[in-house]
Amino acid sequence: MQKTHIILFGIAILVGLIAVVGAFFLTGPYAYQGSLIDPPVQAKDFSLIDQNGGTFRLSDQQGKVLMIFFGYTNCPDECPATLAEFKGLISQLGDAAQQVRFVFITVDPERDTQERLQEYLGNFDPSIIGLTGNLTDLKKVWNDYGIYQEEILSEDTSNYSVGHTNRIYAIDVHGNLRLTYPFGIDQDKILQDLVHLSREN
Amino acid sequence: MDTKTALRLGTRRFLIFFAISLVFIVLMSETSFYFLKEDSDRAPKEVQLIIPEGTAARVANGETVASIPDKMVFTLGDTLTVKNEDVVSHELGPLWIPAGSSASLVLEQASKFAYTCSFQPSRYLGLDVKNPTTWLTRLAAFGLATPATAFFLFFYSIIIWPIKPKKEVVQEVPRVPVVGVNEER
Repeated sequence: MQKTHIILFGIAILVGLIAVVGAFFLTGPYAYQGSLIDPPVQAKDFSLIDQNGGTFRLSDQQGKVLMIFFGYTNCPDECPATLAEFKGLISQLGDAAQQVRFVFITVDPERDTQERLQEYLGNFDPSIIGLTGNLTDLKKVWNDYGIYQEEILSEDTSNYSVGHTNRIYAIDVHGNLRLTYPFGIDQDKILQDLVHLSREN
Repeated sequence: MDTKTALRLGTRRFLIFFAISLVFIVLMSETSFYFLKEDSDRAPKEVQLIIPEGTAARVANGETVASIPDKMVFTLGDTLTVKNEDVVSHELGPLWIPAGSSASLVLEQASKFAYTCSFQPSRYLGLDVKNPTTWLTRLAAFGLATPATAFFLFFYSIIIWPIKPKKEVVQEVPRVPVVGVNEER
């Protein structure tokens, strides 16, 4: 065998090995960045009113990935920060954002009317769905999703803030609760998970 | 003694003390590590916490659940997996664990946390996340302590035992009478 043939044969074996090792790492199981709910559980269905007056039913959203956050429009810190993150994710996802619904459910139905939600969410991204409803319906949703909600009166009692859970819930295309994210998690980590979840469709 | 000889002898002495210091530090450090090492001095792993069925009812009555500790110690990088065998959902800090499922949390920051917790009567669970003592930490200890000890011993030795060349053995050369020149004269 000529020397050139031996070299070519060696290069071919090397390329083959790199391809096999690369394929092993690239096709390995994806490790989610959020807190994985394992096994996934069916997300409890609910029906609430969106900021445009339409009915939003969770079970109608199958085929889309849902990102749900519970908050209120008078919130000074966590809610605007999370909604800004939603806005950033919509921008980063580009066309893939069509596969994802970003949902904001109020924990302050008294002040968060449809009009208020429409105005407030419009400041971030109009595609974010704002949901409100009557207190009974909302309390059931809060309870089903383990949401803590407490009105805290200010000193002059003319105003109040609302203490609430600040995690984000991710529901997959089959309507299963798959992941939760703590407040302040890096946006890029959520983005990676969303890209992966939306590919499951 | 000339400078060259002083340098040669000084370097030789320093290297000897460096070797002695290294052996001493390794022995001291490793012995201390052996006796003082903690459970958190290990590689990161998955730690599972099980919430047994009936926990929510017991907590509502102010009872503790024997299998759930008040405080847990972790190594940085551990994954805490909470398995919920209860009939209602539970939460632990950022984790929400639906009934019959599990959720996990990677502990990425070494600190002491007091997480709100639905499966403790006190409503809090303490998580102590520690930096582990790894072989790199131990190696860094050798690297830091050995030169310092070697320099200390070296300078101390110079004070009490100054550098001197070994005494040369001067051989007595027998005097041989020189034959001749004066006599010839």
